[in-house]
Amino acid sequence: MSFDEAFDVVVIGAGHAGCEAAAAAARLGAQTALVTLNLDLIGQMSCNPAIGGIAKGHLVREIDALGGIMGRIIDRTGIQFRLLNRSRGPAVQSPRAQADRALYRFEMRRTLEAIPNLHLRQGLVVDLIVREGKIYSIELQDTRRLHAKSVVVATGTFLNGLIHTGRRSYTSGRAGEPASIELAQSLKKLGFPIGRLKTGTPPRLDGRTIDWDAFEPQQADDNPVPFSFATDQIEQPQITCYIGYTTDAVHNTIRQNIHESPLYSGKIKGIGPRYCPSIEDKVVKFADKDRHQLFLEPEGHNTNEIYLNGFSTSLPANLQQELVRMIPGLEQAEIIRPGYAIEYDFVDPRELTPQLETVRIKGLFHAGQINGTTGYEEAGCQGLIAGINAALLAQGRAGLLLNREESYIGVLIDDLIKQGVDEPYRIFTSRAEFRLALRHDNADARLSPYGRKIGLIGNSDWERFNLKQDRLARLRAAMESTKLKKSDPAYLSLSQTLGQDLGDSITLAQLANRPKVNPDLIRQLLPSAINSLCSTKDVETVTADLLYNGYIAAQRATFDRLYQHDDLHVSDNFDFRKVSGLSNEMIDRLERARPRTFGQIRRTPGLTPAALSTLLIQLTTKRAA
Amino acid sequence: MSSQDTIAALSTPPGRSGIGIVRLSGTRSLEVTQSLVQDKNFTPEPNHAVLRKIYDPSSHEVLDHVLITYFKSPRSFTGEDIIEFSCHGSPVLLRSLIDIVLKFDIRLAGPGEFTLRALANGRLNLVQAEAIRDLINAQTRAAAQQATRQLEGEMSALLQPAKNSLLNIIVPLESSLEFVEDDLPEIAFREIKTDLLNLINQVTRLSSTFGAGRLLREGLKVTLAGRPNVGKSSLFNSLIESDRAIVTDIPGTTRDSLSETVSLDGIPVLLTDTAGLRVSEDIIESLGVERTRRIIVDADLVVVVIDGSQLLMPEDREILINIADSPHIIAINKCDLLSFKQNELDLRDEKATAIVNVSAKTREGLDSLRTAILEPYAAYDTSYTGLFITNARHFDLLQRAATSLRASLNLLEERASEELVLVGLYDALRFLGEITGETTPDDVLSQIFATFCIGK
Repeated sequence: MSFDEAFDVVVIGAGHAGCEAAAAAARLGAQTALVTLNLDLIGQMSCNPAIGGIAKGHLVREIDALGGIMGRIIDRTGIQFRLLNRSRGPAVQSPRAQADRALYRFEMRRTLEAIPNLHLRQGLVVDLIVREGKIYSIELQDTRRLHAKSVVVATGTFLNGLIHTGRRSYTSGRAGEPASIELAQSLKKLGFPIGRLKTGTPPRLDGRTIDWDAFEPQQADDNPVPFSFATDQIEQPQITCYIGYTTDAVHNTIRQNIHESPLYSGKIKGIGPRYCPSIEDKVVKFADKDRHQLFLEPEGHNTNEIYLNGFSTSLPANLQQELVRMIPGLEQAEIIRPGYAIEYDFVDPRELTPQLETVRIKGLFHAGQINGTTGYEEAGCQGLIAGINAALLAQGRAGLLLNREESYIGVLIDDLIKQGVDEPYRIFTSRAEFRLALRHDNADARLSPYGRKIGLIGNSDWERFNLKQDRLARLRAAMESTKLKKSDPAYLSLSQTLGQDLGDSITLAQLANRPKVNPDLIRQLLPSAINSLCSTKDVETVTADLLYNGYIAAQRATFDRLYQHDDLHVSDNFDFRKVSGLSNEMIDRLERARPRTFGQIRRTPGLTPAALSTLLIQLTTKRAA
Repeated sequence: MSSQDTIAALSTPPGRSGIGIVRLSGTRSLEVTQSLVQDKNFTPEPNHAVLRKIYDPSSHEVLDHVLITYFKSPRSFTGEDIIEFSCHGSPVLLRSLIDIVLKFDIRLAGPGEFTLRALANGRLNLVQAEAIRDLINAQTRAAAQQATRQLEGEMSALLQPAKNSLLNIIVPLESSLEFVEDDLPEIAFREIKTDLLNLINQVTRLSSTFGAGRLLREGLKVTLAGRPNVGKSSLFNSLIESDRAIVTDIPGTTRDSLSETVSLDGIPVLLTDTAGLRVSEDIIESLGVERTRRIIVDADLVVVVIDGSQLLMPEDREILINIADSPHIIAINKCDLLSFKQNELDLRDEKATAIVNVSAKTREGLDSLRTAILEPYAAYDTSYTGLFITNARHFDLLQRAATSLRASLNLLEERASEELVLVGLYDALRFLGEITGETTPDDVLSQIFATFCIGK
């Protein structure tokens, strides 16, 4: 078989998964091609122009800590930074930033073009060519063939994409772009189990037609917290977003026209995300709510386009216009792009290894929405892992896998490949058993050593990392040795401020566990030498470590007690069909998931304690010969 | 589990009894039975008892006339083919039947192995298996009913509301963390605190029945004590309504202790008759006295028996002094011969929970004595409609759940951040989940999406 060009790694799709995959593979030294339908839309934010949020922000920090690019790019193009959950503990705080959509695209392309070994190619992939169970090459619509040792498929919503507005539907990958039909067929031919999901997007408005005074402003943080550990300062000027509400009149009109919605007429078969419902869904499912919150989010510095967050809809375009004008402050508003729903194919992620390689075809990796996830951050982290492992495979090196106790990325991948998806999968902090340990501010300590080991973290970043870890170690030691005694003048005022008995003496490390103690307070009590050495962030990180350590230890003890059998090995030929008492559905689920340990069995949804004890006994009882 | 071998065991308690049951479980059960009845085509209708002669295959002699019941796989207790032989209850006969069966290369079952197989074959869940074990050990009707109810999954059904209230506490706290940008109602800390307190009470109440549950299962240990020849053994016999203890009028006849389980109002009582407490030159008797002291220490309740026909003797007083700090009641025996009023006996013991006049001979006052024995435990009313925790594992899990919930309540009161409050709540959910089945993060999220309109 012939080909036109040969690469180590070919990445299909230049969305958030594809860009991370290509950047990582190329930076690991693999000759990498990034194939996209339209070079001008690299890194396009097809929905909300924002990155981060609770748990999603954690993912971006982890991507950055491993050596990915998303964090650096949003730091350069973010126009409204906010750290969410500031009033809560550090483990559940997470950065979020509104992006300038066009700038983000521009910056992404500029970044990719600066990476040696990375080759951009425009074209529509129509086929995957497999030889002896291994990926061999891809074929483009224009008949070019690209050979590759590894291929990463990161096609987003393009596989058999079908857009709906009102009663109209047409094939499309994203508004204004063609769908990928042949590639979807190619995957089906290879035997992959394919499912159908749905997502949606709200209308965009002309900012000049909005009565801004009718809305409540939401300001950016004064001290923006960047996503990247390499970013010192956010340079972009920060903008204001606005909050408004729907009214009963809007809801009534939606209800009267609900038959116009393809969601309710039965046209849409794919399953949508429950945490990102359309306005139709909100009105129908929460009929007693008299208003729904809306966010007016500017799409960039150089455009009037406004993203109407909270108003995702697939109602007919003319009805969307009518509804928007019923919202206080939007009486004159003009829609410049209507909202729509899109259905697309995804491949059952239980087909994947923890490296995101398909079990079915060696060298073929899947990342992003093709695996049933939603969100740029979820896509980006999968792209990074797939790109890293595609390159490592091409180079004959051992793959990288992250476990769920050390990262949200590990949680996400483990959930996907073990449990599959019933709806578009989004990360939440509650999905992580040890969320207290997985903070956004310690993502570097958790993951950068892996990034360095495989070669994705450069010398200057590694030096910065080590300097920081060194500062943190010194700070920790200082907090453990600095004691506050009853005789100290600071003791009395502190004890009064906190309203607590502090005993005869207390170290700063012990103080960090007390309620109401914040990093600022610790900073005031630190010796000046250590204070001048460390940043506020450093003090925050060490204080958070000390605050959570006890909880994490206790939680581990609980897990060790309850889940002591989790490491029990399940042999490759263990036959779940022979375990009587399991329902056919459970057998099917287990056979597909092929859990390797009892712990993985335990996390398989739907298993009753009875079924679990049965399996445990099967695994522990030695069979009579 | 067809690969498993066939096992056999005596399923009734060892010793002489009306009938004895030998049970086989496994694929070869029927085949072995066919050899024993000497009929290759013998295939009894499942779940029906049939009368047959069984033979010793080596001598071809009739062993016994037995009732054979066939439980066909998978519709049997273990999920495997089961054969039960109901034989006449002679220990010798039962022993030889088992010996014969084992010659067919069938293995003697280990303790609890039938239940284990039932569990492994998915015929039972762990809770049911534990209940069956209790059922087998159950000595009285009340305990048997208790075990039966638990078998029906009542335990997990009973915990379901607790688990649901826990989920309802978790939902607003978790939502406030995960969906900070959504338009959610303010957290009603006060209501959450109240709900959490109620939940703690609910779980604690249930776990506190463990003592009562243990009482049901293991019974109450009651020891009769007193100086020699006050009639302890006669009283013991009256209470167990048999003549097991040897009664003579020679002091010190009962040299060792005797125990018997009786059912008093449905509660199993392990009644122990002890050697009389006195200083003796007789070595055998003094060994018995030493053991008696130990048994008294072990007892849940000591019944100090006093001879009502005599004035208190120094030995009686010494016993009362020794026993003062243990739970005890006083039985004034031989009340048919009572020649003194109680105050004339000079019996001042404020620590005794009851003083009862009784006559082992005329059976007068026996009912009062029974009531007095159970009185301190009356709180554990056996007609209690709720459910007793009879199992140490459940008790442990419930206690841990309660401890976790209390930790969360403290944090909630300190206004600690939600992620810290949630640690204990999720731990409790995991502990309860060990009984009721696991609640996954997806279950929690589903509950959140059902409760609040989420989605920017």
